Amino acid sequence: MKEKLEAIKAAAKSAVSAAAGEKEIEELRVKYLGKKGELTAMLKQMGSLAPEERPAAGQLVNEAKQWLESLIAQKKEELKSKATELKLKAETIDITMPGKEVAAGGLHPINIVVNDMIDIFQSMGFDVVDGPEVETDYYNFECLNVPADHPARDMQDTFYLADGLLLRTQTSAAQIRTMENRRPPIHAICPGRVFRADEVDATHSPVFHQLEGLVVDKGITMCDLKGVLEQFAKEIYGSDTKVRFRPSFFPFTEPSVEVDVSCSECGGKGCRVCKGAGWIEILGAGMVHPNVLRCCGIDPDVYSGFAFGIGIDRITTTRYKISDIRLLFENDKRFLEQF
Amino acid sequence: MKISLNHLKTYVDINVPVEELCSRMVMAGFEVEDIEKEGDNIKNVVAAKILKITPHENSDHLQICSMDVGADTPVQIVTGAQNISEGDYVPAALDGSYLPNGAHITAGKLRGAESNGMLCSGEELGLTEEDYEGASVNGILILKGAPAPGTDIREVLGLDDCVIDFKITANRPDCNCFLGVAKEISVVLGTKFSAPKPEYKTAGRNISDYISIEVHNFDLCPRYIGRVVTNLRIKESPEWMKKAITASGMRPINNIVDITNFVMLETGQPMHAFNYNDIRGHKIIIRNAEAGESITTLDGKKYDLKEDMLVIADGEQPSCLAGIMGGKESEIENDTTDLFLESAKFRRDNIRHTCRALGIRTEASSRYERGTDIMNVEYASERALQLIYELDAGDIIDGAIDINGGLPEERVIKVTTDKILELVGVDVPDEKIVSILNSLGLPTDINGKELTVRVPSIRDDIEGRADLAEEVMRIYGYDHIVGRPMRGETVRGRKLPERIKTDKIKAFLCGAGAYEIATYSFIGSGAADTLLLDENDERRNQIKIINPLGDEYSVLRTQLTTSMLTVLSTNINRKIPSGRFFEISKRFIAESLPITEQPDELATMAIGIYGEDEDFFTLKGIIEGVMKLCGAHTQYERSEEPYLHPGRQALVKANNTPAVVFGEVHPAVAASYGIDCRVYTAEIKLDMLLSINKRKTVYKPLPKYPAVERDFALLCDKELPVGTLENAIAKGAGRLLESIRLFDVYSGSQIPEGKKSVAYSVWLRSADGTLSDTEIEAVSSAIIKNLEAAGAELRK
Repeated sequence: MKEKLEAIKAAAKSAVSAAAGEKEIEELRVKYLGKKGELTAMLKQMGSLAPEERPAAGQLVNEAKQWLESLIAQKKEELKSKATELKLKAETIDITMPGKEVAAGGLHPINIVVNDMIDIFQSMGFDVVDGPEVETDYYNFECLNVPADHPARDMQDTFYLADGLLLRTQTSAAQIRTMENRRPPIHAICPGRVFRADEVDATHSPVFHQLEGLVVDKGITMCDLKGVLEQFAKEIYGSDTKVRFRPSFFPFTEPSVEVDVSCSECGGKGCRVCKGAGWIEILGAGMVHPNVLRCCGIDPDVYSGFAFGIGIDRITTTRYKISDIRLLFENDKRFLEQF
Repeated sequence: MKISLNHLKTYVDINVPVEELCSRMVMAGFEVEDIEKEGDNIKNVVAAKILKITPHENSDHLQICSMDVGADTPVQIVTGAQNISEGDYVPAALDGSYLPNGAHITAGKLRGAESNGMLCSGEELGLTEEDYEGASVNGILILKGAPAPGTDIREVLGLDDCVIDFKITANRPDCNCFLGVAKEISVVLGTKFSAPKPEYKTAGRNISDYISIEVHNFDLCPRYIGRVVTNLRIKESPEWMKKAITASGMRPINNIVDITNFVMLETGQPMHAFNYNDIRGHKIIIRNAEAGESITTLDGKKYDLKEDMLVIADGEQPSCLAGIMGGKESEIENDTTDLFLESAKFRRDNIRHTCRALGIRTEASSRYERGTDIMNVEYASERALQLIYELDAGDIIDGAIDINGGLPEERVIKVTTDKILELVGVDVPDEKIVSILNSLGLPTDINGKELTVRVPSIRDDIEGRADLAEEVMRIYGYDHIVGRPMRGETVRGRKLPERIKTDKIKAFLCGAGAYEIATYSFIGSGAADTLLLDENDERRNQIKIINPLGDEYSVLRTQLTTSMLTVLSTNINRKIPSGRFFEISKRFIAESLPITEQPDELATMAIGIYGEDEDFFTLKGIIEGVMKLCGAHTQYERSEEPYLHPGRQALVKANNTPAVVFGEVHPAVAASYGIDCRVYTAEIKLDMLLSINKRKTVYKPLPKYPAVERDFALLCDKELPVGTLENAIAKGAGRLLESIRLFDVYSGSQIPEGKKSVAYSVWLRSADGTLSDTEIEAVSSAIIKNLEAAGAELRK
């Protein structure tokens, strides 16, 4: 009996290890463990043994049965993983084939720059405000210390709509509205469209964009102005950027300065971009003129403030090295896709 | 303001190279627009000595010259000129040289003879007789003396001047002249400055025997000084004066006219010379023009005058447009014998106003517009007489008539140095402040911390501490300002809620594959016609720009579709196969036309799409997304927008208010934009969408019980909108409805004529438990009942 069992085990072992597919394994399982299988038959023969031999013999046969079941299970697992492996191998794809396109549009480059600027100033505590594009002469000129028939009106060519109504030539108009609606401390920026009757060419557009900044509080100095503009310039042009003040004139600020940044292309050594100067003019700024503060009902002996106006289009064209401002308003998809 | 550097040196010591001068002036507030160096357009031309002249074998007019050009060996140059002799010194343009007329001279052969350059005439070097004696001779310029051969010709000819073009800011009219700029240079460089001191002798008699002057409007003419000069000796001006005038862009005419122009350039005070004998009644009256009066000015143009314009009249009629241009009648001519000389102050806004109204602009008027100094009127008059005397241009009659409405008192500003420095945040020593202000011609004393600054009338731009701060800082140097971080409580700034919502909509549209565009806010006046808008359409109420750049940019837009169609057209015509675009901007709606107050500026959005995969429903999908984002409850209705396809357009109501019109663009309208394919646009009242208060999101529990799907295959009239069927299903399903999906619409074979087959999947779910068969049956029959009522039947 014992010998017979060993013989069956040996035969089963070699048969299982030789099996090449799940079907063969199943056949082997039936052959040995099925209702009419060889090991099942051995169990059935227990009755012919002496009663005292039965427990030991039964245990032997059961052990052989369990051994074979686990052997078969193991083999099955082995075959399955081999099959999976083959299947996956057959599914290999050409990874250089193009991806399936996901539609993704984008913001206009001007607004990408505006958003960056808003983020920078917002983090410095500036609120973002809006103002109308059709302005009154009062807000665009008069309250900004530019009375009628003042020569400073020649600094800008204005589009007129009616007596006393015009398309704003500067976001500075929003300064006045802000100062009228809020009391100091004021920290506000106003990005927006402005209009000047300039003939269209590579560097001029009758519609362009500015960002006006305004701070009014007690004890504000030109050092605060420089600090804010330095932080702005470093974030926009890189951490090595230097800021330079150059005296200038705007009717609504006194003192007034033109603000230059060190050329980001050459680092200030002088190159084609900065026309050899090492500096690029990016904005006009100054301390809010006492007449302007007074016009808004703010006492210039108690409060002081600064204002600045940044040309957004210029920053956009410099950042992306766009040679012709007209491209910004042409809206060719192949242009817009690049940002 | 263009000024000759050499001429500036007659007033102020300039001890630095011109480049340094300019960069220091820039840092003091005087931008330099250009530095034009005399002789800059002459390169590689040298003084040369003619060693030997031999005739040319193959020519009867060419000569071969052996030249000493300062090199080791002589150089051979062929010339056609005949006015030269051996031993002459002449200008030689060497191989590779440039001349002012742009000519590039290179070595070559002339009729077989080698020529290594060219001998130059005065004209070829851009010279006139005024620049160099003999320059106008027809032939080679013969140099005087014996310049060392090889010396740069510019040095030999004394072409060492340069013209600097300073940009004078509007607050500094006092610097629109030689003296003003020279004074600033002296402060910037710390060198000596001196203005001419007018001195002259008169020829006796008295002006009151010659002329009387009346000023009728002191508001427009606060000061008027008249002088008379007789026995004029009109001739050419001296070279130095002609050069100074020419450098500043004016044309020399004769000594009298040149003196008036020179004095204006030098002092900033315009002068006017009248032919004394043309002044009727020997009477000068400064008054407003009378209705119906006109004047013919020096340039021969006739102008009709209005009563707000100021004229200088004689006993009968206007003789000069005050401060702008003289009259033709009283012009100084070569045979003029006697002169009346005007120096006056006119109110700047009135001059500007008249110039605009008449469309004239002169050197004089532009100075008056910017502002002149009432105290300078006298100095300029005296200076002109000094020049008349020195140039022996006439006999000066004794006495001046000076009529004014009162001269201003000196202004005094009292302010502490602390108050000035408070604005700049820099410590400038008190004594430095005092010395800077004094050097700028603002006499200043200090007592403790308090400054007393006396402001002359010439600096009426200086009103208070802010102006003084600027004066101090631009000389002390803005480099002293050190940036400091903003003080006070730093909090993150806020954005308006509309901006935050708009940013979200933009992000959604970008995610939907659309590109943001930027277009002008003004469009052509014909835009409303091109869109076929109705006569009474409010979008025809376009605000006109009074001074547009052209008709295509002449009105403010009342809609964004025109601009969008233009962009679609650009892209389509550039063969770009597809595109999705959007723009958010303002449209301008006037209450009435012409406008008298600011119009409504309404935030608006346009969307435009085209391409093979685009249709009405891709655009509708985008709009549904925007509506959902804004929290709008929507209804879709047929609309009648004339520029859209009559059968493929819809009006979307958001919370019962019309908010969007969209659809396929009418082919006729598309064609007028040069578009030959189907394009789809939407015009969205963004202001309306932004005003919707979106309900705060509250989490809904996920369903606990299973949903049941029921399909309905229906047959209905072809014309019946599926929206009606959806409404019927929703009504029938009531609160058990989870979702409806349209999965098939079909008409054709097996469907009766005029009918269509429509198939829906409807999901039903209850929050309270699994739906029983009985419940499902009840809901299904309710749905079918409603569908039948709506005109559909179940397909058998």
